[in-house]
Amino acid sequence: MSEVDMAVIKPEMMKSYIWLQTADGSIQQVEQEVAMFCPMICHEVIQKGMGSSKNYAISLPQRVNPAMLSLILDYCRFHQVPGRSNKERKSFDEKFIRMDTKRLCELTSAADSLQLKPLVDLTSRALARIIEGKSPEEIREIFHLPDDLTEEEKLEPLKNTTDDPRIRLLNRLYAKKRKELKERQKLKNIEVEEERVDDRSVDDLLSFINGDNGDSKGIKNSKSKKKNRRRKDQQKNTSANEAIKNHNKEPNGLNQVCRSAEVGQKVRAGVGATSNLHDVGDDIFDNKNELDDVDIDDEIDPALKEKIDREVEDFARRLNSDWPERMQEILSFGHERKPVHFSLNGNGSLRRYANSEQR
Amino acid sequence: MEITKVLPDDCISLIISLTSPRDACRLALLSHAFNSIADSNAVWQMFLPLDYIHIISNSSSPPSLLSLPKKDLYFSLCYHPILTHNGDMKFQLEKENGKKWYMVGARALSIQWVDTPRHWTWISLPDCRFCRVAKLKNVGRLEIKGKVKLSTLSSNTNYAAYFVFKLVRDRYGFRHTPVELEVSIEGAAAGEVRSVILDPPRNMPQQAKERADGWLEIEMGEFLNGFEDDRTVEFSLREEHDDQPKRGLIVQGIELRPKHNR
Repeated sequence: MSEVDMAVIKPEMMKSYIWLQTADGSIQQVEQEVAMFCPMICHEVIQKGMGSSKNYAISLPQRVNPAMLSLILDYCRFHQVPGRSNKERKSFDEKFIRMDTKRLCELTSAADSLQLKPLVDLTSRALARIIEGKSPEEIREIFHLPDDLTEEEKLEPLKNTTDDPRIRLLNRLYAKKRKELKERQKLKNIEVEEERVDDRSVDDLLSFINGDNGDSKGIKNSKSKKKNRRRKDQQKNTSANEAIKNHNKEPNGLNQVCRSAEVGQKVRAGVGATSNLHDVGDDIFDNKNELDDVDIDDEIDPALKEKIDREVEDFARRLNSDWPERMQEILSFGHERKPVHFSLNGNGSLRRYANSEQR
Repeated sequence: MEITKVLPDDCISLIISLTSPRDACRLALLSHAFNSIADSNAVWQMFLPLDYIHIISNSSSPPSLLSLPKKDLYFSLCYHPILTHNGDMKFQLEKENGKKWYMVGARALSIQWVDTPRHWTWISLPDCRFCRVAKLKNVGRLEIKGKVKLSTLSSNTNYAAYFVFKLVRDRYGFRHTPVELEVSIEGAAAGEVRSVILDPPRNMPQQAKERADGWLEIEMGEFLNGFEDDRTVEFSLREEHDDQPKRGLIVQGIELRPKHNR
């Protein structure tokens, strides 16, 4: 049905009003050019011929209550005028979004349901500015969010592929804490907690059955992948940690352990209290060294080899003493490795004759 | 009012993507609902550069990198630089904001006399991502130039160029003779020329800074990358006034990183 047809069949369309009905049943009429600024209303008018009279009022989505509709129409009324300068529009926008957070959220929702993208962008930016830089507790308060992640989920291990011994220690402490929490849950015998534990093993089973395919869809998969990696990391951790212990004799090594002990203290002290969540979130951001590509293909040997190779390079940089002997010492604490040959370059730097790729 | 009941997930995704990667990590710990949204590909895709697929496809990295969850890919690009442009450039992301860092490797620079074995030699060092770096054996005049198209870099960003190098024990010619560093955008007015000493004696201030990878770097200059600028930025290091021989400089490349002026 073209607009011309509608004009002939329904002379009411010549009047410049569109009828809208909100979910609470109330109906109002709005100037046509204002209402048509909303893509959703535009669609209803043009494609379905609605809105021409009270009986054919356009039913607005539930998220648009009368108060929000009023705000949205104010926005449309201003912006649909073609002649305004960018400066004017920006100035209007800045004043327009001065409202409390709750209304901003409702407005975003309403604008989204009417497909009014410019307004969605405007309100979203305002909400982003409110969230930026705030601690999780502050954000929870502003948006009335439940703190429904378990201590376990918050203590997700930090991924650690550059073998920073501090992170390794942190992960061990997290693992220990998770274990303690699991014990506590078993003792308390809370049904809900146990169910959650069961869910986890189902996830594990599923990922095992599916062969842990690299399905990048959804978070559940990445979560179970993380669990698998967690287990692998723990395996690697034990072998690598022995190497660390033997290098504690070095003054550099000692410093590392001291620092990780401090970090460990911080975790132990703060883990019970949620006030440390800010730090955990930041810990994860600061230390989020990412995974081996190899993990996705589930090959353990090359990953272990690479991990040990990297550890070797790391120590090579830090320790200035007898290189060849130190290398052999480190290597003898891993397992399932091909022999790696070392020699010194003319300028004293270490050269490795292995077929691993250059970093 | 609980926000996740008022706003649909994709609105929340949009809002989170307008904050910062650090905020998104914190938001993932707020609640179950936020956890899945804040970790989602919808959000982290917005933190990656617009042309990330193009960059990775034309790099030496395995294509499996592209099948990673976007959050993992983001951090992978922050912590594990990839080699692009046939191994001549090194690319990574700045963690706080997803801005691009590029290092133009020595192979991609125009170094005068570099292919003459008497003057320069190409060596391989384990602490360097590039296959080869250039080592100076002996040269009278030193000229190192490079250029990069502005469209390669993050737009609306102020960048600085850093000359990344090392000096070996057996070196001369850099202690008392300054080199001239210049950064300029082609077609624009000539950039400021800085005169610095790469290897000052101990009692003089050291202008070069030590990097995390153990190399030294010295800032060559700054430039602003605007929006959809298709010009080229050029850098040069010269030592032309003095015909004193120089030796012992190892060049890794020139790194371009955003510079945040406080």
